[in-house]
Amino acid sequence: MASTANEQAPSYPTAIAFCLTSTIWFAAATSFGMIAAGYLFAPDFLANIGWLHFGKARPIHVNLVLFGFVTPGLLAAGFYMIPKLLRTELFSEKLGVFTAVLWNVTMLCAIVGIGAGYSQGREYAELPWTVDLMIVVLFVLVIFNILMTIRQRKESILYVSVWYITAAVVLTGTTYGIGNVIWKPDTGALLGIPDAILLWFYGHNIFGLLLTPMGLAVAYYVLPIATRSPLYSHTLSLIGFWSLIVVYTHIGTHHLLQVPVPTYLKVIAIVDSVAMVIPVMVVLINLWFTVKGKWAEIHQDIGAKFVFAGTIYYFFVNIQGSMMSLPVVQRVTHFNNWVVGHAHIGVLGFAGVTALGGIYFLLPRITGKPIYSRFLADLQYWLVLIGITGFAIVLTIVGLIQGQAWINGETIYRVLPQIQPYYIARASLGITIMLGAYIGAYNIIRSIFFNPGATAK
Amino acid sequence: MKMTLTAIVAGALSILALIIFIMVFLPYAQQDTTPSNIWRDRTQVEAAGRKIYIANGCVYCHSQSIRAIDWGFGGERIAQAGDYVGDEPILLGSARTGVDLSQEGGEHPDDWHVAHFVNPRYTRPSSIMPPFKWLGIKEILTLTQYVQSLGFKQADIRMKRQRHWKRQAIEAYEAGPDVNARWLAEQVPEGWRNIPNPYPTTPAGLQRGHKIYQEFCLGCHGPIGDGMGPAQPWIYPPPLNFTILKGREISGGIIYYQLMNGITGTAMPYFKRELESQKIWEVGDYVAVYFINQSDANTDPRGIDAAWEPYLEFEPE
Ligand code: HEC
Ligand code: HEC
Ligand code: HEM
Ligand code: HEM
Repeated sequence: MASTANEQAPSYPTAIAFCLTSTIWFAAATSFGMIAAGYLFAPDFLANIGWLHFGKARPIHVNLVLFGFVTPGLLAAGFYMIPKLLRTELFSEKLGVFTAVLWNVTMLCAIVGIGAGYSQGREYAELPWTVDLMIVVLFVLVIFNILMTIRQRKESILYVSVWYITAAVVLTGTTYGIGNVIWKPDTGALLGIPDAILLWFYGHNIFGLLLTPMGLAVAYYVLPIATRSPLYSHTLSLIGFWSLIVVYTHIGTHHLLQVPVPTYLKVIAIVDSVAMVIPVMVVLINLWFTVKGKWAEIHQDIGAKFVFAGTIYYFFVNIQGSMMSLPVVQRVTHFNNWVVGHAHIGVLGFAGVTALGGIYFLLPRITGKPIYSRFLADLQYWLVLIGITGFAIVLTIVGLIQGQAWINGETIYRVLPQIQPYYIARASLGITIMLGAYIGAYNIIRSIFFNPGATAK
Repeated sequence: MKMTLTAIVAGALSILALIIFIMVFLPYAQQDTTPSNIWRDRTQVEAAGRKIYIANGCVYCHSQSIRAIDWGFGGERIAQAGDYVGDEPILLGSARTGVDLSQEGGEHPDDWHVAHFVNPRYTRPSSIMPPFKWLGIKEILTLTQYVQSLGFKQADIRMKRQRHWKRQAIEAYEAGPDVNARWLAEQVPEGWRNIPNPYPTTPAGLQRGHKIYQEFCLGCHGPIGDGMGPAQPWIYPPPLNFTILKGREISGGIIYYQLMNGITGTAMPYFKRELESQKIWEVGDYVAVYFINQSDANTDPRGIDAAWEPYLEFEPE
């Protein structure tokens, strides 16, 4: 790489490439989210554009968000943290940059695949077979690069963040192929009820074994450094890590509590969904005690500010999730917008916000200059925060309206006019998030390529 | 505990393997693949329609999974594992932005579906389903075949019923308005035919009826009740032109019964799930007053006056 001329400061081209990937797909994904949200209150808007109607914009939105925005964002932080923590260089920056380029090609293929109607129709596993293969290849490349970096390390102790990242990529690399039934190229599915069981085992692991550990890895790295505090407890880190892997993998069936699947699966899923309080609270206590009383430091570092906000959403999404796994609650919340609210709190509020935090944390440290504009970063912070909190409130209200009405025997059709104003409110809030994404993209690109040096404050 | 690379990778992978064995492999190995009593194979066209369903993401708005607590379409039968033995992928769905479609087959005749797919607002004015006109009529018909097979053998029974009554409805329609109006009225059980609308016509009631008409009927029967709503070109027999009913002794009871029960075989849906009694009487009176121009509201026989009726001068004593 050109920058190796400058010996003392490695330039982390892989991390930079993943930052760019994440930030660009964030903008694209929110645009597709806006289109989907528009259809829900004005269904004839953009009518008759075959590749863009709700049934296609929605899976494009969700896949871009998961695999285009959040995962690369967290990986960017990973490709920065791992060499740092291990006092070495990334095994191969060339391979890393190549992975990032291929990642972008894969996302383009994903849009084209779903848009052209090759969706496999299974939520979170809709990408067509060829794209599935590409994603598996991507994970293999990432795993290879990370494992080789760990092998050549100069620091013998592996820090918590390294555990989480390694486990996340290795486990996701495995479950992705299984969950997408990659050995059956034509349908990418099993037959009958086992298909649903496998699908939600996999679907839940996208949140539980990919986004959550990667997000926590970033939090474990950013918060102690930003506040210059040692990690509160090694024991809690250990408990949090292993209990996450043991418990989270069990609970996929809580998506199927009202479906004819074997009862023992439901029992395990409910019990362990409640038991999720352990891995979650252990980690949060560990992180929150680490930063206790250091608000000024957190506020000073925009990256840490995002990451800390992410931990708060992490708390809420998990408490909410445990509640939603109780059958009495799920009778009301299942099948409606309550779940969509939960999904946005989790994937955007926790994982997405944490990914942004990681990006803002590492950029100044890589480029050696402050980010282009702290003001724009703060603006993005508030736009995203207002948007997601608004989403949580509005979608929860809609969900309750729908759920309570249905349980009383109202038909879905009759409730539609009542929820229309909320759909409009949700789309308006979406505009703030989308603006945040575009502003962030501008700020991050400027920070990397056209950064004059001094802050524009 | 010292965390080494081996501990992390091997530990995590073996936990994963164990859990996949318990949570995925065991249920897979022990699954019961006996079809349920309503299950049957799909025909080639139906399977092709299912592909269109998957390609267009219908699954994000429509579940195919009836729960014990459901009331709506298909609420008569709770889903069983044996209903899904032929589904690859299974399309349970995780959101009900639209209705559950497990038992959609035969709820409506084909022409209703065609009009609905062309633009859902045609048959369902406040629908938020996207239009599928761009699919082209051939694909729409294939998709319709699939939708009409949902519910398997139960759907087949309902489809047979639709076809049976469609023949008769078309025959009556083609014989001209006199025959058609008489035929329609004669299908209503005797008792109902003699019941006038028991509630008086009131401005408030007409207002409410107007609102319901706009949300439920407008797309077919049209804003002025002449049957020329936007759905009309796709529906046969076409939506009824209410003005032909004048002077034919169409009682409130006939209208009520037809709304509650629908006219199977024609696109006229049943509304017993969507509209409660008062709403049916009021939209019925709205149609009678404004379009048929003849209402029997509050005429004899009436029974005991309803407690809430303020318009009656209560005389006996
Ligand atoms: C944005 C979500 C959405 C999408 C996508 C969608 N629908 Fe719908 N659908 C609805 C809503 C809402 C209703 C209820 C109102 C109505 O009848 O139009 C409905 C109603 C229906 C009905 C009529 C049910 C009845 O008997 O009243 C059928 C059949 C149907 N949809 C089939 C489909 C098919 C097939 C697709 C895919 C090509 C599809 N829908 C895509 C939202 C959606
Ligand atoms: C999808 C189209 C459609 C919708 C929606 C619809 N109708 Fe109909 N309606 C029809 C058709 C078709 C017929 C029968 C025409 C025939 O057989 O000649 C019919 C017949 C009727 C009749 C028959 C009267 C008689 O003489 O027996 C009444 C009354 C009626 N509709 C009222 C309504 C009202 C009120 C609504 C709204 C609540 C409504 N319809 C909604 C299509 C529709
Ligand atoms: C304690 C932890 C959690 C529990 C117990 C939990 C529980 C649940 C339950 C029960 C559902 C299904 C709701 C239904 O269909 O009725 C659900 C859906 C979902 N959860 Fe969680 N959740 C947890 C954490 C998270 C986190 C951290 C994320 C994101 C990173 C997340 C993302 C999602 C998403 C995206 C869905 C929507 C799935 C769909 O499309 O139906 N969850 N969760
Ligand atoms: C412009 C902002 C956004 C808008 C307008 C928006 C809109 C939507 C809409 C309309 C849906 C479909 C919901 C339904 O079927 O009813 C959806 C689903 C989803 N969105 Fe977004 N979204 C936005 C941003 C995001 C972001 C940034 C993320 C994650 C980082 C995200 C994650 C998800 C997920 C995981 C789902 C699937 C939910 C489920 O299956 O339950 N969204 N979004």
